[in-house]
Amino acid sequence: MSESSASPPVPAGDPHVSGGRWALRGAWAAAKSVQGIVLFASFVGFGGLIQDVGFPLGAAILSTLLVWALPAQVLLVGGYAAGSAAPVIALAVGLSSVRLFPMAAAILPYLRSARQGIGIQFLAAHFVAVTAWIEGMRRLPGMAGEGRLPFFFGLSSTFVLMSMVATAVGFYLAGELPRALAIGLLFLTPLSFLIQLSHNARDFVDRLALAFGLLLAPLFAAYGGRLDLLWTGLVGGGAAWAVHWFLRRRHKGGGS
Amino acid sequence: MTLLDGALWPYLLVILAGFLPTEIWRSLAVVFVRGLQEDSEILVLVRCVATALLAAVVARLVLLPPGELLVVPLALRIAAVACGFVVYLIAWRSVFLGILSGELFIIGSAWYFG
Repeated sequence: MSESSASPPVPAGDPHVSGGRWALRGAWAAAKSVQGIVLFASFVGFGGLIQDVGFPLGAAILSTLLVWALPAQVLLVGGYAAGSAAPVIALAVGLSSVRLFPMAAAILPYLRSARQGIGIQFLAAHFVAVTAWIEGMRRLPGMAGEGRLPFFFGLSSTFVLMSMVATAVGFYLAGELPRALAIGLLFLTPLSFLIQLSHNARDFVDRLALAFGLLLAPLFAAYGGRLDLLWTGLVGGGAAWAVHWFLRRRHKGGGS
Repeated sequence: MTLLDGALWPYLLVILAGFLPTEIWRSLAVVFVRGLQEDSEILVLVRCVATALLAAVVARLVLLPPGELLVVPLALRIAAVACGFVVYLIAWRSVFLGILSGELFIIGSAWYFG
């Protein structure tokens, strides 16, 4: 049921396709994707969690729209439940969200448009989260330049909307679900992240970064202190890139 | 401190401790990539760091999971991820079948231990 080959190849620079059509294509791509189903189920799990800890539904839905990063939202609600001070929660959320910087930086160059100002770039960056990033990184590079931005907005805003609905569904379903199923929903985030990342890692360098990250994470989690995620990303990602750089340089026969 | 104790507090918390500390990273990225080309070598490095960071998030959620997932022993949590990944590889790289089998494994384990 992989849909990598299901969507028709996008004609380069088709002048008859308007921005609105591109946005609709993005929305449709989101609605029918496996990632959309997984995202919906993951946010149902989040809705159940907030019901458990007594976090108001309205604030949780607002967090899905404004924070738009499930691990950060789980931290936020967990901190609220534990009665942590706001600056402590903000620090934990900030540290856990460093990944958004390289993710946004990697996808934004595909979303540039000569006509739009920098405000649109900030809006596009806001929609960057794992699911939209993975789908975007897979589809955007082969797509016509002017279609990329509306396609991405259609795709990611549909993901956000689905997740806001799912947050509410989970809130009202909580307590009705068998415990094993609720645990299954919590497990969806790591499981789907890993498989989607592997699915996207077409180049050797991406696979290497993925493997290094998985192997180094337990090490840094044990000895890296509070910045363990950041260290894993920098050391694992940096090492993968160094191998890639070294191999390419040797391939070129030592020239620079 | 009525505001902080009131019904508005969770909403303020979402904005101050949720929205701002995440959005700052996304906004920094907008500034960082200005003038960088799509095929720039720096962006390959940035993509590697993003991928390794996400892999670390996966590892952490499996090794030190939040809440109820602790019902399932560590060895079985790792086995469930491995199961999903192996099925994904042998089932013609199907994301759907991979996730489905990993989920069936973890739900089965949770049902047995829960």
